[in-house]
Amino acid sequence: MTIKEKGYSHWDGEFLDKKFPWWPITRYGIKLTIRKKFFKLLFFMALTPSVLFLAGIYVAERMEDFQFMIREGEVPDFLKINPAYFKAYFTNEYILFMIVMILVFCGAGLISDDLKYNSLQLYFSRPISKKDYFLGKASVIVFFLFFITLLPGLVFILMKLLFAANFEFLSAYPLLPLSVISYSLLVTVFFAFYGLFLSSVNKNRRYVAILIFGLYVFSDILYGIFHGIFRNEFFALLSIKENLKQAGAFLFGQKLPHDIPWALSFLVIAGFCVLGALVLKKKIRSVEVVK
Amino acid sequence: MSVEIHDLYFSYGKIKALDGVDLSLPQGAIGLLGPNGAGKSTLLRILLGFLKPDRGEGRVLDYDIRTQQRMIRRYVGYMPEDDCLITNIDAVTFTSYLGELSGMPRQEAMKRAHEVLFYVGLEESRYRNLETYSSGMRQRLKLAQALVHDPKLIFLDEPTSGLDPQGRHEILELIMDISSKRNIQVLISSHILSDIEAVCSFVLILNKGKVADQGDLKALRQLDYSLYELKVKSEPGGFIDKLNAMECRVEVTEDGILKVYMPPGKSPQQIFHLAAEGGYQIRHFVKSQTSLEDLFAKVVGVD
Repeated sequence: MTIKEKGYSHWDGEFLDKKFPWWPITRYGIKLTIRKKFFKLLFFMALTPSVLFLAGIYVAERMEDFQFMIREGEVPDFLKINPAYFKAYFTNEYILFMIVMILVFCGAGLISDDLKYNSLQLYFSRPISKKDYFLGKASVIVFFLFFITLLPGLVFILMKLLFAANFEFLSAYPLLPLSVISYSLLVTVFFAFYGLFLSSVNKNRRYVAILIFGLYVFSDILYGIFHGIFRNEFFALLSIKENLKQAGAFLFGQKLPHDIPWALSFLVIAGFCVLGALVLKKKIRSVEVVK
Repeated sequence: MSVEIHDLYFSYGKIKALDGVDLSLPQGAIGLLGPNGAGKSTLLRILLGFLKPDRGEGRVLDYDIRTQQRMIRRYVGYMPEDDCLITNIDAVTFTSYLGELSGMPRQEAMKRAHEVLFYVGLEESRYRNLETYSSGMRQRLKLAQALVHDPKLIFLDEPTSGLDPQGRHEILELIMDISSKRNIQVLISSHILSDIEAVCSFVLILNKGKVADQGDLKALRQLDYSLYELKVKSEPGGFIDKLNAMECRVEVTEDGILKVYMPPGKSPQQIFHLAAEGGYQIRHFVKSQTSLEDLFAKVVGVD
């Protein structure tokens, strides 16, 4: 008997008490992002620095094979594998720029499309909460950003240990894995809030994409202008990029790029996340309620 | 009882949307009627846990509406009134995705999505992108997503809105099939009284946030008034005044027929007495069947 002839039949399966009820939202978001035009190319471009830095680790470890490249056996600073090398990877402008570009592709439509097509009520008529919805959407951003932050960072450490065939590197810098993990978490969590917050303020994903990119660039321009006029380092707090660099330098135990307390940058980042969470709480509703 | 509500209050700021609603709905297809702003959608949203009531309590399928919303949503299907979809996917992915969010295992959700899409008549277009769907197809799709997890109870909010007569007829047939043969309880909120009349056995009428009337449709039709249709030869103005004085409500149709709603305790003979006294000649007189429209007009107080 065909399905058509059978008509409606009851489902005799059992519901699962899923530990991560938000996972289907994440899976669907990832699938949809990968299908987008140019995303694969962009993602590949974002991964390029990690390949170069990995090559750097290999070269640094096999320095005797690359003597022809250096003067009088002196290892150049940029090939010294230490926390500064990791900081150079994580806080370089190209990586931060590519993170924003990935956010434009994967984050812009995450909530704005649901607002535009009234689909929030479809989600919330299912046994999922606001928290599940938020986690599902945020995990899409986290998934892609971990490929550029956490994953390369851990691979760098692993490859360094493999190339050296000993644990000297870890005993010299025991806190480095923690630095990699904490900075990756900081960047991904911040950009997850940043992307979702902006995605929830407009129903048009193109405007949201412009907002994501524009706010990042504008904050940096603002810093440039004020710093140029007043010569005050505190204006770095206006820039998303400079705050992340400041936080990165602190977490990797390096000299801070700006002569201002590192805690202020963390406060700015945390403040932005709190603001994002408040806006999201207000915007993500199963029904529009005007009180 | 599948839905039981006691003393439910909800307000949007100063506007009272639900004002002490008490109800208990039996099995079967139930029609939820009321004019705009009566509180129908608010009631559905509270039952689904979208909104928290200001006061009062209730149970849906024996789950508390305040504390067990997840369980309610697991066993209840919801077909929203608004046009809503998820972009850039086909109907199978859309339906199975929502099945998964209901807690179904992935493969079973996919299998079930095919089944319900066949059932609602979207088998040919189930791999088409949703953005290319007509409004009739979108209504069917909304019904399919409400059915995918095999709910025990479905809330249908204006299920036939925006449909042509053929599409409306087909959706109503599906709803009738679901409610009568498939043992799924259906709660339909609609402005289209004939839809409710065609599908439902029990009606709940809300007005200004209160339950104006509720009961079995057959029993409600036997209203506590009788409806007579009559035609008089001369100008009926004075005759209508006399009928009104007798506490009858009178409506005049376009073709001059007087619809006279007689309160209980009055006899049709009194109409003839009034006519004889006033010298009005009755040319046509028939006892008419009261419709849901009449009931609605009576309890809501509109013509």
